[in-house]
Amino acid sequence: MIQFLQGLFDGAALGAQYSLLVLGFVVIYRATGIINFAQGGLVLVGAFMTYNVSQTWGWNFYLALFVSMLVTAAIGVLMQRLLLQWVLRELVGVVSALLAWAVLFYNGWNQVAAFVAGLVLGLVSWVLTREIERRWGGGQARELPVFGSIMVTIGILFVIKQVVPSVWGFTESSMGDPWGLGVSRTAGLIFSHAKLWTLLLTALALAGFFCVDRFSRIGVAMRATHVDHEAAVANGISHRVVFATAFGIGGGMAALAGTTAAAGIAQLTPNLDLIVFLAFPAMILGGFDSPFGAVVGGLVVGIVQNLTKVYQPAWDLEWLGVGFDRVMVFLVMLVVLMVRPYGLFGTKEVHRV
Amino acid sequence: MTLMFCYFVLPLCWETFPFVRTIDSWGLTLTTLNYAGVFAIGALGLNLLTGYTGQVSLGHSVFVAVGAYATAYAGSTWNIPMWLWLPGAVTAGFLVGLVIGPFALRLRGNYLVVVTLGMVFVGDHLFRNWKSATGGNAGVSVSKASLEIGPLDFRNLSVFGQQFDKDQSFFWLIWGAVALVALLLKNIVRARPGRALQAIRDRDLAAEIIGVDLFRYKTMAFAISSAVAALAGALFGPLQGYISPIDFGLLVSIQYIAIIILGGLGTVHGSIIGALLLGGLPRIIEGLAKDVDLPAVAGDKGGIEGIVSISSLNHIIYGVLIAGFLLLEPRGVAGIWARVKAYFQTWPFSY
Repeated sequence: MIQFLQGLFDGAALGAQYSLLVLGFVVIYRATGIINFAQGGLVLVGAFMTYNVSQTWGWNFYLALFVSMLVTAAIGVLMQRLLLQWVLRELVGVVSALLAWAVLFYNGWNQVAAFVAGLVLGLVSWVLTREIERRWGGGQARELPVFGSIMVTIGILFVIKQVVPSVWGFTESSMGDPWGLGVSRTAGLIFSHAKLWTLLLTALALAGFFCVDRFSRIGVAMRATHVDHEAAVANGISHRVVFATAFGIGGGMAALAGTTAAAGIAQLTPNLDLIVFLAFPAMILGGFDSPFGAVVGGLVVGIVQNLTKVYQPAWDLEWLGVGFDRVMVFLVMLVVLMVRPYGLFGTKEVHRV
Repeated sequence: MTLMFCYFVLPLCWETFPFVRTIDSWGLTLTTLNYAGVFAIGALGLNLLTGYTGQVSLGHSVFVAVGAYATAYAGSTWNIPMWLWLPGAVTAGFLVGLVIGPFALRLRGNYLVVVTLGMVFVGDHLFRNWKSATGGNAGVSVSKASLEIGPLDFRNLSVFGQQFDKDQSFFWLIWGAVALVALLLKNIVRARPGRALQAIRDRDLAAEIIGVDLFRYKTMAFAISSAVAALAGALFGPLQGYISPIDFGLLVSIQYIAIIILGGLGTVHGSIIGALLLGGLPRIIEGLAKDVDLPAVAGDKGGIEGIVSISSLNHIIYGVLIAGFLLLEPRGVAGIWARVKAYFQTWPFSY
């Protein structure tokens, strides 16, 4: 019984992380219809950014977490504007920034100076392009087909996965969180501080999201865009702002998930994004476009995974192999899908010919 | 179109001897072409499934792995002759595809993508843990597999008085297989099944209404594509000599998708072009990095300390290529070819 409760608690903490990740996916999918495979990359960036700010620059951990969430949100927005809604301005800005950086760096400039100069040049060219577009009329923003967006985000994931270790190194490092390995023991159960804080922060983030979703204007705008894109645009809701916000929220969630996942001693590795692949079954379980489903799915997946890990040796199921808990999650997902092909809380797609 | 391509490929490799020397200087050795050939076979299968039937599958590497492990087991461990283990591997792939196929009936679009992703992980788990069949993490050697069909021994071929070495013999075997599979697929596509598959891709509900049996065609698409993938795996095993679970992960699946996107979804020659491109590109970059100082890349030339290594640069270029092609030319290289062809069809008067 104790084992079961312990497994439940640990599973819930794990599930909370998955819920955050899945919520990031779901928010983006609801508003834009894109499955953002690059969430894994954003998780990496968020975790390493927190590490950078708190360890390398020595700021307070929670402040570092907050900053990292903002920066990752900004990267998410940039990703959407630049690559998923191909707008000339952003393209020109980033390309010129990269070129300037490469050329200056190649010519012997200090790396950081070249980077900053590139950034400035990028901003300048972005503004210039915007003015030119306004003056002489611009082209339409091109958008990708659905399948295409999956591959573009996978492409971005690849790039991020390579750039992050190149900047921060391939070895494991410690995040420097204030929780470490502290535990509290009550009634025979072990409550790890990191897990408690994970649950707390996740609950806060989820509550925050639900408040925004229900009560704020942008939340209503996002729900409206999901229900009927064209009607929303016709009512004056700028779909650019909605898309950008969705990606920003997704990025922030990813940063928080990444930081809590990498808490503890020497947990921060460039392979952190693998946790995202277990968020997929959770997303399917809950339904692609339901935030409530995201929470439920994440918790279910976390608990199932942890209980499998606990009971596999206990019930003599070692022959199923190491890492069977991950497979179990996928099997559960498969079973649920066969019964409800759109997940537990997803909206059923109506196909019209 | 593909027939012409095949006719070009076969005489081209007749000149394998001097040809090797020229393309060697570009970094494209015969080994690279062999690996590209294996990728081409796999990509042909995936194009049938994703390009023509519209079932996006991220699980292609599992089918390739099935073929490779079947080869390792049957050909190497049990020492079965080639004319038995090759069809055996293909049949194994076919059966696995038959099992996976019905899932595509219940699941559409994004859900199918994620389920096939899950398949990759389940497969990975199986290959790492079913040690008796697959050798676990350490992998298994395939070098003892016999490569003889009748009088042709593909380890050192000697035909019509010409003696070929190992790489060249493999070239003949692999690219001969590419030609055969391309022919087979082109034939499927231009006939009734092909039209049914494309109908499913465009609007499966409407296809069902006009009488296309969804169960039959979707399952068949999966089965044939996985049989072809198993063939690719079966040839990959002896080529590399040693296979392990790292060779068949999510990365390989994504490489296959990248190949068909770059080459052109829904075309046969596109798969081959894409495979050549993505197979040759890392070698070309390596060769380039030896001679030219790329900015921000740690090259062999010494001097500039780069931020990214060569392999990282390869991955970055993969990602950029995928994203770039989808944004700028969604129909891939085959699309560019089609546009060039269309332009010249009405040249010089385009009206």
